[in-house]
Amino acid sequence: MNGHVSIFSIPAIVLTMVNLCGCSPSLPTTYEETIWEADVAPNNFGATLPPNIAPLNFKILQGETSEAITHLHSRNKEGIIVGGWDVCFDEDDWHKLLEQTQGDTLYCDIYLKVCNVWKHLPTQHFLIAKEPIDPYITYRLIRPSYVTYEELTINERCLENFDERVIYENMRFEDSDQGQCINCHMPRNWNRNAQSQFHVRQALGGTVFIHGNEVTKVNLKTDSTLSAGVYSSWHPTLNLIAYSVNETGQVFHTLDPQKVEVIDYASDLILYDTEANTVQHIERTASEFESFPTWSPDGRTLYYISAHYTPRLDDIDADLDTNYDLLHYNIYARDFDLTTRRFGPRRPVFNSEAIGKSASVPRVSPDGKYLLFTLADYGQFHIWHRSADLWILPLDNKQSVAAQPLQQANSLSSESYHTWSSNGRWILFSSRRDDDNYTRLYISYFDEKGHAHKPFRLPQQSVDCDNFLLRSYNAAEFLLQPVQPSQGQLRKAVKANARHATYAGSALAQPETDSIKNRIPQFTSNGRRESIAY
Amino acid sequence: MKFRLPFTLVFVAFALILLLGPLQPYLRETGALTPFYLTGISLGEFVSHPYGLLLYVASGMQSCFAIPWLGATLFTASLIAVAYAQKWAFRLNDNWFGLCWVIPFWLLVNYTKMGYLIYTTKAVAPAFTPILQVLIGVLLLGCLRVGLSHWWMLSVKATSSRRVIAIVVSVLIFLSSAITAYSNSFRDVNFLNSLRMKHAAEAGEWEQILQIARDGEQEPTRIQVCLTRLALFKTGRMGDELFTYPEGSAQYNATQNQWLRLMVGPLLYYHYGKLGFAYRWAMEDMVEYGERPAYLRYLYSVAKLNGEDALAKRYERSLARTLFYKDIDKNKEQEISEISPLLNYTDQLDGDNGLVEFYLLHSFTLSEGGSREMVELSLMDGLITKNLTGFWPRFMALLPTWKGHIPAHYQEAALMMAQLQGNSPLSDFSVIDPTIQQRFQRLVETSARMGDNTANATALRPEYGNTYWYYYFFVEGLKTN
Repeated sequence: MNGHVSIFSIPAIVLTMVNLCGCSPSLPTTYEETIWEADVAPNNFGATLPPNIAPLNFKILQGETSEAITHLHSRNKEGIIVGGWDVCFDEDDWHKLLEQTQGDTLYCDIYLKVCNVWKHLPTQHFLIAKEPIDPYITYRLIRPSYVTYEELTINERCLENFDERVIYENMRFEDSDQGQCINCHMPRNWNRNAQSQFHVRQALGGTVFIHGNEVTKVNLKTDSTLSAGVYSSWHPTLNLIAYSVNETGQVFHTLDPQKVEVIDYASDLILYDTEANTVQHIERTASEFESFPTWSPDGRTLYYISAHYTPRLDDIDADLDTNYDLLHYNIYARDFDLTTRRFGPRRPVFNSEAIGKSASVPRVSPDGKYLLFTLADYGQFHIWHRSADLWILPLDNKQSVAAQPLQQANSLSSESYHTWSSNGRWILFSSRRDDDNYTRLYISYFDEKGHAHKPFRLPQQSVDCDNFLLRSYNAAEFLLQPVQPSQGQLRKAVKANARHATYAGSALAQPETDSIKNRIPQFTSNGRRESIAY
Repeated sequence: MKFRLPFTLVFVAFALILLLGPLQPYLRETGALTPFYLTGISLGEFVSHPYGLLLYVASGMQSCFAIPWLGATLFTASLIAVAYAQKWAFRLNDNWFGLCWVIPFWLLVNYTKMGYLIYTTKAVAPAFTPILQVLIGVLLLGCLRVGLSHWWMLSVKATSSRRVIAIVVSVLIFLSSAITAYSNSFRDVNFLNSLRMKHAAEAGEWEQILQIARDGEQEPTRIQVCLTRLALFKTGRMGDELFTYPEGSAQYNATQNQWLRLMVGPLLYYHYGKLGFAYRWAMEDMVEYGERPAYLRYLYSVAKLNGEDALAKRYERSLARTLFYKDIDKNKEQEISEISPLLNYTDQLDGDNGLVEFYLLHSFTLSEGGSREMVELSLMDGLITKNLTGFWPRFMALLPTWKGHIPAHYQEAALMMAQLQGNSPLSDFSVIDPTIQQRFQRLVETSARMGDNTANATALRPEYGNTYWYYYFFVEGLKTN
């Protein structure tokens, strides 16, 4: 079986469809049992599925077969029969079957005709969970590139079917001098109140805030902060957003297939008040690189990662280019007073350095019981690190369990950038398990005992969509409802002048020693890295 | 009819001679720079954009330039269709048929004048898209005219007295259009030679590159110099012949100066074992200019060499959907066996700022150890950059591997180093060819006699222009990029 669909094969496909319409395939009455392992792509068998997920179509790759029939069915054998190697389920039939099997097992039998004899492969199964998944996700589609960026899109996908639409694309405002980068679409509370934000960099740069159909653009960069806002987290109840501000660069491996290191040469945390339009510092130290802030569901704690930087050379570029693998990020937290809106002192949460690892992207489960994060050998931009795995840390004091890897969800390749569904039962994460380079989205069920189940790949109408897409899925987030403004409304807001945020000092209850003044003379650059403009 | 045929035949001859003559390598390169997949998914992606079907057809036709005669035939036929469509749409009399060729000539030169810009255009199919647009526009106009034929008055029926004038004007316009098209076509010798060398490198035909370099009559660009050096390295003749080939840094006949990276950046990095950088630039260019087979080939090759089989398979699948780039594994085994010895080094984080030649030269010059091939590259690149710090250790390490025949340039450098620094580790100079020793002695005496360096350069060139000594003392100011 060849993977691609030639346009010359379209007539054949049409004929097949006509045949299928005329007489739907029936199960072979006689067949031989085999112990052949099903060779299908993607192989989602064994995964736990949400009862409202789109059909998990797949392709049978087993060679030297003249016919193939797939029977997807419930315990009582009622189900769907699909003929051919491209197994595409009818959406209505699929949803009806999932409704019937909710909280139960869904079975899949594959019959292959080899030398005129039907062979039955061992029955495969899916578990159908009781809890539904949030119906929408957003993500950025991007080539796994380095410095250049073209044709970036922030997309919205309905998980209950295959509908996908572009929320915003970056080509409209590009000119020969300046491109436009877009990133990090982040909803507030799963877009429950139609609030979200994303960043536009360089041409017409600013952070775009969406509330219902209203769109505004703000420039979060002030003279007192390192950059505009980068990685964000909305406060669950107050009109506040915590951001990291980063001085990021890229340096390239000459031989290592991990290809690139994305390194922060400085980073702090800020708090943006969306009503007052002010920016305050949360962390501002030259010797600590803080990033990836995330609020607890009650809004009383801010978690984040931080690495202590000890200069070994005068030139920070030369230092980190050589010692990049010595930079280890730990997870810290600061308590937040909802009344005074001030942060308490920093406290350690997870010491990854102690086990020779480095943590990134901490995310608290909606029930506040678990902290999910990515752990790799070094650094914080783990999508390029094959050692990156998902780990879980119970936050509930009643549990004495230490942090553990999510064995069922992880692979030998990179797992990174994860997010929780609003009911806390589903984890959406990026993985490069298919080829170590192109990121695909995977969804894993997270049970009440704190275990992840075998994940399934984001369903696609045709397997070829993933096979031939030379782009990565990036920074995906769950949504309870679609993003409301049209592309035209977003473009209009991007084109408008940005409102400038003003700096309002420290957000700490007891401001610590400000070591920012030492930063600029201390760190110099030899220009080897390619900087990212925030 | 009797006037249409001669015009058509002359145009066909003109177009095919131009396209399949000097511009043949340009056509081939255009094919490799055209993103086109023959699949329903790709068609669907195209048609989801305005004018997508037209762009899809145009890119499919343009990808046929991969087989120059096929692409040229399609291109010429499309231009002829434009001429005939005009005649039909405007109901032009045969006598005025020459007028119909102005636009085809414009469309022809619109493509042939692009030259280096074919690398940086973001148009999907710059050769065929305008042709199809004009063709469709003219045909639509024709349909409109047929519909409104009762009042359409543009038909020109020549009286017999004006017939001769019409024919003469027609022929003059045709000829002037042809001359304009020819003179505006980008036939820059260095550009076309660079393309020939690049295609030879891609086919592993290293001797052909050296032949083109030897035959070149103009000062070469850095692209040509780099490809010549690569061919000499591949053929094992670097140490004997490198300084016998023309050096130079001729300006590119185009604005900007990024052409080396765009044309041969991934190719050079790949063949010199800097796989991360080969992949990076192929990917950066794919981001900028689309899924061109020219980039997919290097993404595939690097993945293969890296042992990233699943990734290589992904690119192989993409290439398999193209019309003419399915056969990616031709010569792959030999290519891999040649490059593998250059991968014997410790990975490091680095950046090249797009300066491919500069990075490669300095990277090898400053490297330590590695395979025999790497040590020889370090030795030679040290000579090229005139950084002789590591000369003796590398020379002495390679000495046993030369098995009696020390390449001429290394002998020249050894003599020069001994003369400049005094204490040489080479205890016995009998390993140096007596002819080279005598030649060096003559050079020293002549230089001492003549004094001033600038005057020496011209005078010594005929006798010593093909030696490392001449390169070291007199070749300066080359703009590596």
